[in-house]
Amino acid sequence: MNPVPSTIRTVRWMVRDTFRQSVSTKLFWVMLGLTGLCTAFCLGISVSGTAAEDRVKHPDELPTYMPKKYADDKVKAEGIRVAGGEVSLGFGLFKFEVTKSRADSVKLIQLWLAGVLADTAGVLLALLWTAGFLPGFLEPHAVTVLLAKPAPRWAVLLGKYAGVVLFVGLQAVLFVGGTWVATGLATGVWEGAYWYAVPLLVVNFAVFYAVSAFLAVWTRSTVVAVFGTLLFWLLCWGMNFTHHRVVGYDVAGLTPAAAFLIDAGYWVLPKPLDLSGIFFDALRAGDYSAPVPELVAVKERGAFHPELSVVTSLLFAAGVLSLAAYEFRTMDY
Amino acid sequence: MAAAVFENVAKTYPTGLFGRGGVAAVRGVTLTVPAGSTFALLGPNRAGKTTLVKMLLSLTAPTAGTITRLGAPATARATLGRVGYMHENHAFPRYLSASDLLEFYGGLSGVPAAGLTAKADALLARVGLADRKTEPIARFSKGMVQRLGLAQALVNDPDLLILDEPTEGLDLSGRQLLREVVREFKAAGKTVLLVSHVLPEVEELCDRVAVLAAGRVVYTGPLADLLRDPKTGGRRPLEAALRPLYEQGVAA
Repeated sequence: MNPVPSTIRTVRWMVRDTFRQSVSTKLFWVMLGLTGLCTAFCLGISVSGTAAEDRVKHPDELPTYMPKKYADDKVKAEGIRVAGGEVSLGFGLFKFEVTKSRADSVKLIQLWLAGVLADTAGVLLALLWTAGFLPGFLEPHAVTVLLAKPAPRWAVLLGKYAGVVLFVGLQAVLFVGGTWVATGLATGVWEGAYWYAVPLLVVNFAVFYAVSAFLAVWTRSTVVAVFGTLLFWLLCWGMNFTHHRVVGYDVAGLTPAAAFLIDAGYWVLPKPLDLSGIFFDALRAGDYSAPVPELVAVKERGAFHPELSVVTSLLFAAGVLSLAAYEFRTMDY
Repeated sequence: MAAAVFENVAKTYPTGLFGRGGVAAVRGVTLTVPAGSTFALLGPNRAGKTTLVKMLLSLTAPTAGTITRLGAPATARATLGRVGYMHENHAFPRYLSASDLLEFYGGLSGVPAAGLTAKADALLARVGLADRKTEPIARFSKGMVQRLGLAQALVNDPDLLILDEPTEGLDLSGRQLLREVVREFKAAGKTVLLVSHVLPEVEELCDRVAVLAAGRVVYTGPLADLLRDPKTGGRRPLEAALRPLYEQGVAA
């Protein structure tokens, strides 16, 4: 008989099966195409302007900068070298002036690519893409033969979940790697911190895919898995934002019960805004982009705990996945 | 040793809001499937045959009673590695090829990775799908899927083969193949549990039989005894023997 324990064996085979399932879908090619498109977009970037080391920040400098050509003589007379240059996109099709150093201009583009495009549209697209995997798989005619094998049901579910998350992780690596290499080749700026986008995207997706998996096991409906996860995602953003607004700005008129509920909701639910904030900090984006004011406010009050945000978000995912596994284990087929 | 033992097994499926109601599919079944037998499980529709099979495979939990599979409680999943299962209405993953499917199910059954490909090839040749082994299952006809279903049931060299309406969708050569497989199991001293409405097949292949009606066992014993006409002592058709037993279910 096979010496590999059945749990490990099951997870391994389920991960392998999920990879095959993922590759067979049309949306996989759509996502791959989007990654290719973004990579091509990055290859078409060129930035001219001052280097990062030339950038000396004036103590009174405002977060939004005047373009170099508008910097008045008084500023220049003070000896401040005004940063600025030109960014061209689409291999020179679009050109515009920027007030940042060359490196900051590139990092700003990367922040938009990973922090906004991939972390929002990409994660939602991935959730939509994978939401149908489990309901289809769990249909009685499809799964009875598989469940009649000596494979623990919880390991079957874990393998499917891990397979999806790993595959989306691979897509994230392709996206971040492709755009990083392309940007580096095109501009000469090789920002290592950009790679933090991979764990950010994977954690963000893993947390919400756990909810999708739970809904799939519970209802076996793709529609419920898609819309339920989307609504939950909105709820989490709302809760995260509301908590920081309340804590950061001392919102008046809240009853103790409401304050408690917001605090409890924040700590129990995943924290997508905090995860974005962590990536923002990793890219040191505060030097060249305006942060979310609510995040700044909680940070100033010492109420932002990035490690706890990540840990509690992952704990939530583990809890929801355990519930799904319990439901699956006790389900009649 | 018995291949399967059911002791006072009952199954009620919950119905209604919060599962307050219930439909009794199996009611107090006590039954032994001897090792090495070719055992037919017969009964009219909704008699509880498939539910009994599903409980034996740990797909469904009994509401009451105990089930032993290959000498161990059915709750211990390890013995499922010695069981092959084929049912009438497979929906295999359409993105897999026949070869990939056998490797996948073989791997999950605990068949060592070394030699799994060769084994899958041999089985596909056996069921007449060798020339289609790399094609996605999405392109297979119902009969081809059934043949693949038989191949996957054999991939782990099972000691107990459970066939639930296996001839559904199979052509003549497919049915012949199935009969050959059952005979091979018989010759090797292995157990086959066959659920079927195709009575000539049951008469040809099986040596023991249990008849279920309305969730209860109304007959169990050698097929030869069931076929013996109590009035004349001669052999009677299986259909004639079953009719009064099936009617017990209707009366209940």
